Amino acid sequence: MRIERRVALGLWIIGLAICGAVIARTSLSTDMAAFLPRSPSAAQQVLVDQVRNGVVSRLILLGLDGAPPDALTALSRNLGQRLRGDPAFLAVNNGEEAGLSGERDYLWRNRYLMSPGVAADRFTAAGLRKALESDLRLLQSDIGVLVEQSLPADPTGEILTLIDQFAGSARPHSRNGVWMSADDRRAVLLVETRAAGFDIDAQQQDLAAIGDAVAAAKRDISGAAEARLVESGPAVFAVQTRASMQRDATRFSLIATVVVATLLLFAYRSLRALLLGLLPVASGALAGIAAVALGFGFVHGITLGFGVTLIGESVDYAIYLFTQTDPGTSPAATLSRIWPTLRLGMATSIAGFSAMLFSSFTGFAQLGLFSITGLVVALVVTRWVLPALLPRGFAAPSAGFFATPLLLLMARARQLRLPVLLLTLIGAALLLTHRGGFWQEDLAALSPIPAADQALDRALRHDLGAPDVRYLVVLTAPDEQQALQASARISTLLDGLVPQGALSGYDAPDRILPSDAAQRARQAALPPPEILQVRLQEALAGLPFRAEIFAPFLRDAAAARAAPLLTTAALPPALKLQFASMLFERKGEWIAVLSLSGVHDAARIAASIAGLRQPGLALVDLKHDSDQLLRTYQREAVLLALVGSFVILLLLLTSLRSPARVFAIVAPLVASVVVTAALLTVGGRKLSIFNLVGLLLIIAVGSNYALFFERQRREQAHRERSTASLALANLCTDFGFGILSFSGIPVLHDIGITVACGTFLSLIFSAILSTGGAGERRAAAAVDGAPRLGARVGDR
Amino acid sequence: MASLQQVKSASGQFVERKTLRVLNQPLIASGTLLYVAPDQVQKITVSPQRERLALSGDMLTVEGGPDDRTRTMSLASNPEVAAFVEGIRATLAGDLPALERFYTVQFAGGPTSWQIELQPRDERLRKLVQWIRIGGSGDLIRAVNTEQGDGDHSEMSIVEDIHDAH
Repeated sequence: MRIERRVALGLWIIGLAICGAVIARTSLSTDMAAFLPRSPSAAQQVLVDQVRNGVVSRLILLGLDGAPPDALTALSRNLGQRLRGDPAFLAVNNGEEAGLSGERDYLWRNRYLMSPGVAADRFTAAGLRKALESDLRLLQSDIGVLVEQSLPADPTGEILTLIDQFAGSARPHSRNGVWMSADDRRAVLLVETRAAGFDIDAQQQDLAAIGDAVAAAKRDISGAAEARLVESGPAVFAVQTRASMQRDATRFSLIATVVVATLLLFAYRSLRALLLGLLPVASGALAGIAAVALGFGFVHGITLGFGVTLIGESVDYAIYLFTQTDPGTSPAATLSRIWPTLRLGMATSIAGFSAMLFSSFTGFAQLGLFSITGLVVALVVTRWVLPALLPRGFAAPSAGFFATPLLLLMARARQLRLPVLLLTLIGAALLLTHRGGFWQEDLAALSPIPAADQALDRALRHDLGAPDVRYLVVLTAPDEQQALQASARISTLLDGLVPQGALSGYDAPDRILPSDAAQRARQAALPPPEILQVRLQEALAGLPFRAEIFAPFLRDAAAARAAPLLTTAALPPALKLQFASMLFERKGEWIAVLSLSGVHDAARIAASIAGLRQPGLALVDLKHDSDQLLRTYQREAVLLALVGSFVILLLLLTSLRSPARVFAIVAPLVASVVVTAALLTVGGRKLSIFNLVGLLLIIAVGSNYALFFERQRREQAHRERSTASLALANLCTDFGFGILSFSGIPVLHDIGITVACGTFLSLIFSAILSTGGAGERRAAAAVDGAPRLGARVGDR
Repeated sequence: MASLQQVKSASGQFVERKTLRVLNQPLIASGTLLYVAPDQVQKITVSPQRERLALSGDMLTVEGGPDDRTRTMSLASNPEVAAFVEGIRATLAGDLPALERFYTVQFAGGPTSWQIELQPRDERLRKLVQWIRIGGSGDLIRAVNTEQGDGDHSEMSIVEDIHDAH
């Protein structure tokens, strides 16, 4: 063994060891946000964080159905009681009072500091008189029994103001005291977990605990045996997505490896050749993962899922080497012969993949880096390491079997050119006339969550009267207190818009914790006890109230004047969490988020907010913004695809220095991209961003086939072996990507089906369009000779 | 009880006199009571202020009222409200099992003049409602008196004008 080869082997082993060490320290992420766009603006980023970490992400929506209504309500009560006893759950609301008692007690104790109704004119003699007259009317009414208990301590009705505020506008339908869907077929519960939404391990345990509690509750309740649990919410989606992602990534990698290995075993008829052929792939995959780990700090599960595609693509190099080495010649000779084509093929693939590096989707950027590193390393290992490992006199069978169909096509290339041209024109016409454009405009179609689960989520939210929040008011301030004061100004503004019908309600941080200034103002609005007593006497004159019963009012008002101000630390757990999701610090700025519900007149709200002329304040329409984002990313994807294609074209022009040769290579690629896109949109379907990335990869991968075919034009020797190697390499790529199309995750499915279809077409079109007419006769001759050349190596 | 079960619907005029511990004089209200078997009760107050209380199944709705708002609540989640109204409805329906689920029931008198005394079974609710006494003759209800235990009590007298029994 020559020194040079020993050095190559040594470097390779050291390299693998380093990659292994890097990977061992890397964390695997399955957060689908990596395949949702990185948000361009700070406000958008806040919203993404909010969705991932805020209180919303901790909510689990539960439904119980499939049993008689009364059995379901009993089951809901039993389940509620069980879950409230589990510290993993902060709040369990099913409509029962038990779900609210802690907060109600807090509101009652702090009513004078919290109620926006506390103002100086309320505690004048006239103000008190007005409140007492209203109380008298309430006592006269049938709901009097509800206010009579609190009247002596709260004649101005602050607790009623607060409870109305916290109860929200939409209340679910209820039966036997627990929440039910309007048709009484499903009992619904809202559970808030202690663990954050992104803590998928903890969420998985929480879901298991809920499942166990339901099973136990069903044993307690007669007639509930048939009841079924349905679950939804961000945490449920995260757990399900992770499970399906892990399942798909492992399953498809395994299937692809087995299929490709079987195919290669069949072609090489040698276990040794098979194992050697997989070495560049394995080295490339290791290096690719290590590069992503170093570049991004984590590796996404989907990136690994696409490792499958690298198997299909990088196994090609070894195939070219093995299959194109004629018996009796050395692999080194083959390598130096095909090296320029291999190198240019790799360069075009890299040009295509590198466009992905600039994608706003972290996941795609990872994928680009992974593929580039993987391909470079696979090619380097094929070039310098494999020859050192091949036994002397090694030669794989020519596998002429694979070449036959292609050689037939090449023999009739002249006649087939017109049909290919026509097919491409028809494809282009279909695309241009596609109804409503061929782009997928619906963001939901990119979501890894199946449509049925999205529908269930909508149904449960509807039952719970908790529709997805669409409008938010976001404001920034230099500190917490100023943010709370600004939030209070918005609250006042919104209070004015509610009776006008612009919206039905809202949640604001200042309602949970008023600013220190607001609390002090309320303390100042309460008169000293002796003055309040005098005013109360004056107000009571002529009313049928017994004066002495209001002692608790005088006592509580006096205590509130001297009470320490409320802080976040004093909030009960559920309110504290809710508050943290509405007001938080980010890079030295405080951000308050008010969520609006039942918005009927967004334009009016936006105009009122703009009228405040406060910097850093905006009404955000999440739907509009996400639609806008999608369009931005579509434009970006188109731009990246165009730039990628342009760079490939430039690369070919500078390397080949012949427009005619470049045309021979580009024509089949354009044809396969157009026909693939047309096939994908058959039946009114739309192209997603993922399909578009797939189209770019067709060019990156397919250019290799075109290059080899174009090379045959000038080099008639080795034609049969060369063609066989291309067919084999193409089949491996088709299987690698094709298997992904069985995944239920849109990103895997869309790219898989696009690339599998496109690379297959590009092989066929290259055979027809890239080979010059000069070789046709010889190709025909090679077809006749194919069976003979296809004999086993061992037979020679 | 059996004769009350025959009543499909009934309506009558009521006068209610409420004595509350927070007030030094009683409150008097009047209006119309409606009943449709088996579980719908409406109490429409005309004086001194218009208000409609409707009980249907588990849901209690109060409309009009002093602040002109509609309030809806579930009896199961508000047992203190249920303690007041369930007795009257179950008596109207002649539904003894429903009465006995909530209250201990005592009968006095004969068919021409009878009285039922109801006491909530739940100790916590007995602090809110000590007893409800319902008096009547035949399948007509004449009076409903409620003692709340904290000094509050109400007396309601009813004069039926429409009566549909089979």
